[in-house]
Amino acid sequence: MLPRLGSVFKDESKLDISYVPRRLPHREKELRILFEFFSFLLRDPLRMTQKVLIVGDVGTGKTALAQKFGEDITRLGGVNIKYVHVNCRQYRGSLFLLLSNVLSAFHPSFPKRGLSAEELLNILLQVMDEQNVYTILTLDEFESLIDKEGSEAVYKLTRLQESRIGKPHRISLICILKNLEFLNTLDASTRSSLQSNIVYLERYTQDQLVDILNDRVQIAFNPNTVPDDTVNLIAELAHSEGGNARFAIELLWRAGKYADAEGMRVVTPDCVRKAASSTFAMIRKSDLVQLNFHEKLFLLSIARFFKENEEAYASLSEIEQAYAITCEEYGVQPYTHTQLWNYLQNLSALGIVKKKVSIAEGGRGRTTLVYLPSISASELEKELVELLEKN
Amino acid sequence: MGSRMRLKILRILTRIGELNVSEIARRVGGDHKTVKEHLKILEENGILQHKTYGRICLYRFNPNSPKAMAIQKFIEEWESLEKPHA
Repeated sequence: MLPRLGSVFKDESKLDISYVPRRLPHREKELRILFEFFSFLLRDPLRMTQKVLIVGDVGTGKTALAQKFGEDITRLGGVNIKYVHVNCRQYRGSLFLLLSNVLSAFHPSFPKRGLSAEELLNILLQVMDEQNVYTILTLDEFESLIDKEGSEAVYKLTRLQESRIGKPHRISLICILKNLEFLNTLDASTRSSLQSNIVYLERYTQDQLVDILNDRVQIAFNPNTVPDDTVNLIAELAHSEGGNARFAIELLWRAGKYADAEGMRVVTPDCVRKAASSTFAMIRKSDLVQLNFHEKLFLLSIARFFKENEEAYASLSEIEQAYAITCEEYGVQPYTHTQLWNYLQNLSALGIVKKKVSIAEGGRGRTTLVYLPSISASELEKELVELLEKN
Repeated sequence: MGSRMRLKILRILTRIGELNVSEIARRVGGDHKTVKEHLKILEENGILQHKTYGRICLYRFNPNSPKAMAIQKFIEEWESLEKPHA
């Protein structure tokens, strides 16, 4: 990306969520552990595969760690290792869609229509046998797959070799999730096949966030444009957001944008305060992008309800009415209550909306109330309308 | 090659590399049965080969046949001449 004339940025793309940095400060130990788990691949890949869980809160570097590991291990050479990273939520937790995507990485023109997930899995293994390749498949946001497909799909993935006795082991798994509790919904045998190797990522401390930010400042900004005070303030704010490095990097980028907009040559702490006070920064844009079309319509209806009403809470039925109108506007058929309830669970898990259950006086009847946690309804509406236009 | 349909099939496979019968039929605008027969003839003549993945059968040029490779190269060159020059 070319820097704008007079911009504080040298290369904004280095602050993008998809960028994998050359080094991961304070995750060196975890990277070494991953290499230990997968060291057999470099020595004797035929006889075994590995399953590893990476567990940690939002912004603790789970995705970056897995991707960095993937880059490093495939660069070593010797054995034909392919690293494939898929985000389960992006494929709505569907094993079929997820495997279709993986197969495309090996065979772009392979027809997938009319096949079952199990057939796709067998084809994938056949293609890997033909290409003599060993795959490390990372399932990011693994919760989504568990939620949609349950034990059956995970069991299939973890017990691939049982129907291939005598053939080379081909697929190792890295499953990324926020909380191990999610695995409790799996049956005991599936759970036990997964839980042996776990890499826990602790939340970053404030000092660690400073190191991460300094690394990014060096590669993304022009020299002497981001003073220490600015970095320290961002680290402090991100630390109060639960040690979230993703939030810190996004805030750094936004502060840079404020500096550019004001024509300043330095990103001052005031730019950070302005960026932080723009409450929309609290939502990760990437989360909004990944919502499906109707989820976006549903969230847009929530945003509009709160923009037009001065209420603090809305009942789900009020939101449903607003959603029906939004669907009319976009010329689509509204989804049913059950589907909207699922959307609400997802949006709530992402922290974009919050919900609470209100029990009517006398203890009879429960109503789900929805509210926006310190997010400006009009900012959210604006962002969603833009995204829906791009759809 | 002796047939317009067979030539169409070979041009598609030169461009895409490897395809299943339904997709070839869709792209050449023929019905499944006719395309399958043409594919059989091309395979019997050593120009194409197929590989089976479960219920899916993929056709491609036979890399072990000098005749197949020569035809593929000829089509590539022909198509490059047909492309409008900038």
